[in-house]
Amino acid sequence: MTITLVKKILKDGSPCAKCADVLEKLESSGYMDRINEVVVADERDPESPGLQLAREHNVNRAPFFVVEREGQPPEIYTVYLKFVREVLEQDTHESDELKEIMKDNPDLDFL
Amino acid sequence: MMEESMTSELLNTVDLDDELQKASPQKVIEFALSEFDNIVVSFSGAEDVVLVHMAHQIRPDIKVFVLDTGRLHAETYRFIERVRDHYGVDIDILSPDPEALREMVRKKGLFSFYRDGHQECCGIRKIGPLRKKLLEVDAWITGQRKDQSPGTRMGIPVIQDDKVFARPGDRLVKFNPLANWSSEQVWDYIRAMGIPYNELHDHGYVSIGCEPCTRPIGPGQHEREGRWWWEEATKKECGLHGANIRK
Repeated sequence: MTITLVKKILKDGSPCAKCADVLEKLESSGYMDRINEVVVADERDPESPGLQLAREHNVNRAPFFVVEREGQPPEIYTVYLKFVREVLEQDTHESDELKEIMKDNPDLDFL
Repeated sequence: MMEESMTSELLNTVDLDDELQKASPQKVIEFALSEFDNIVVSFSGAEDVVLVHMAHQIRPDIKVFVLDTGRLHAETYRFIERVRDHYGVDIDILSPDPEALREMVRKKGLFSFYRDGHQECCGIRKIGPLRKKLLEVDAWITGQRKDQSPGTRMGIPVIQDDKVFARPGDRLVKFNPLANWSSEQVWDYIRAMGIPYNELHDHGYVSIGCEPCTRPIGPGQHEREGRWWWEEATKKECGLHGANIRK
């Protein structure tokens, strides 16, 4: 299994807050060792590797994870705690995961 | 079912979105219903009733669901039943997980959203049941519009791959037929077609959600000001700019 994390650099050159938060969580929980590669989606460069991956997998937000398993199509995770639960097979609290979804998807406010 | 599933896998939602951005909501719904049998309409009990109306015209047995948070206005519950009777559609009323709700309320009380923000409460009362429901379907239709949020980065496509709620290793397609309609256009349509609407709209409510988190607004106020008004407008930066994503 190969795991790629795509993090974003904003147009002003600063890292996105959510990406920094996810990286910090990966580091502090020791999961960073499970990540094979971190690539950058640089909003200043449409051809940056992260934006190429976003185009390839039709993803419109960052951070996200690309999980590749031999003989299977790649899977995309845009919810960090869902990735932790399903790929890293670690326990998460459902309420935390739901809260993360709400925070990252403001369009859901109006359902 | 297999044939429909295979067809959906071939959909290139980015290219299709470019095309469907110019289409009317009715055309978008027609396209969605022609592509998917196992598709459901999300209805909030507000002006998104237009979706129920449009979808019902094309497919009279369209499936509809409502996220019943347990905190909706009595008027909204009455309206949901009115819509069910008017169109004769199957409306699946979804409730929050009782244990998760009990734990949150026991720890934080019934009004924690005024203190901690609405995400946790909405997560349990809306997103949990929504996620469970969407595991059952191949596609869903929402009433989300670009003009609902003042955030300039809120890019709402007409059609998108829903990677948040898709079954593991599977695909879920989300349609937002009203993405490019303004509130005014929605209301022009409701009036022109004589569609039933929530009586709260006659009392100054524009956007309608849970009772404690919804209030009427005055002239010139954005509809977002009628929801979670105690929270500071949130800056969103997780989206990748569309121009960079499109080829």
